[in-house]
Amino acid sequence: MTTLGELTASIAHEVNQPLAAVVANAQACLRWLDREIPDLDAARRSVEWIVNDGNRASEVIRRVRALANKTDIEKAPLDIDDLVKEVSALVQRELISHRVSLRLELAPTLPMILGDRVQLQQVMINLVMNGIEAMQSVTDRPRQLAIRSGQDETHEVLVSVTDCGVGISAENADRLFNAFFTTKSGGMGMGLSICRSIVEAHGGRLSASGNEGPGATFQFVLPVHQEDAS
Amino acid sequence: MTERPKSSHEPASAREPIVFVIDDDASMRRALTNLFQSVGLEVEVFGSAPELLQSKLPDAASCLVLDIRLPGVSGLDFQTELAKANIHIPIIFMTGHGDIPMTVRAMKGGAVDFLTKPFRDQDMLDAVVTAIERDRKRREVGKIVANLQALFETLTPREREILALVASGLMNKQIAAEVGLAEITVKIHRGHIMKKWARGR
Repeated sequence: MTTLGELTASIAHEVNQPLAAVVANAQACLRWLDREIPDLDAARRSVEWIVNDGNRASEVIRRVRALANKTDIEKAPLDIDDLVKEVSALVQRELISHRVSLRLELAPTLPMILGDRVQLQQVMINLVMNGIEAMQSVTDRPRQLAIRSGQDETHEVLVSVTDCGVGISAENADRLFNAFFTTKSGGMGMGLSICRSIVEAHGGRLSASGNEGPGATFQFVLPVHQEDAS
Repeated sequence: MTERPKSSHEPASAREPIVFVIDDDASMRRALTNLFQSVGLEVEVFGSAPELLQSKLPDAASCLVLDIRLPGVSGLDFQTELAKANIHIPIIFMTGHGDIPMTVRAMKGGAVDFLTKPFRDQDMLDAVVTAIERDRKRREVGKIVANLQALFETLTPREREILALVASGLMNKQIAAEVGLAEITVKIHRGHIMKKWARGR
């Protein structure tokens, strides 16, 4: 199971490598120039490598963007409740190790949606992992996570993940889905931004809100598969 | 520092110090080669740990600059592997995103330094100079021990017996009594040992 956290760590690595090479080549270039008799050939070569490596870093970023806006997602008719059950099985170990109890409240007969199974799983896993992390500091109440499915007033299929963790401060609410925005010490701030891209690529919407009590709720809606809509 | 580290009593046969680099990223290998060459250091780069193990390492003071994240075996495991294989090359770790447990493990394993990419060139060069100096000292001590061992091999059993007694602080007369020889014979053996010692140096 590759989580978005691992994905972003590997993106970070892919971008950092050429950047580290740029910095080392630039420093070497200065040393070639600072020699008693400057070695201009070596300096020029260093600069050419800097150009190459800089372009490579930018290429990585271009590929990530393309990945996030990928249009050739493999869409198939899916039962969202099946997807939720699969995800809850995948995150079982994380739940246990963080002493979080998971409650599923699934609507029994939902229409099918059209989507990419793996990508939508990624979105749900990411929301669940965020919920678990948001409750890490909670010690005075049970750490409970709820995943609900249903239909909203326009009959779109809806999935929500509710935690009772630290919640969302008003000032952060607007920035939550921005790339590179994070409140976690080890976070890259890519997870929610990628999640939103995926949901939007499915013609849906991802949103967040603070709960009445402690914690936050993340919810996404997806359009119903046309053949199923009657 | 633009000067290569030089030891005053370097044996004439020893090669120039050499920096080995293992990084799976070609750009990074090229950049590190460039940086080390810009200060006149010799460099050899490898894409993976097995590649380094398969090549014949020259007899020179050296150090290893190693990315902690390598394909296959991790940098930290490679450090352990080298130690088990009795290869004591000083290691400088590089990492894109180092955490504290990783750093602690690396340093406990005897790493010279732990640098985060991108690193400051001076930090890297300082670490390399320290590492090479450490290796040079280790090699010198190793050479002295090897010389002594070779010398000891040339001694006859009787000479070895007498050398042990001399080393324990006994006088010729006492040694003679101990091994049941005339004092003059002990003196002759001592003379032979001294001659071999002088030749062995």
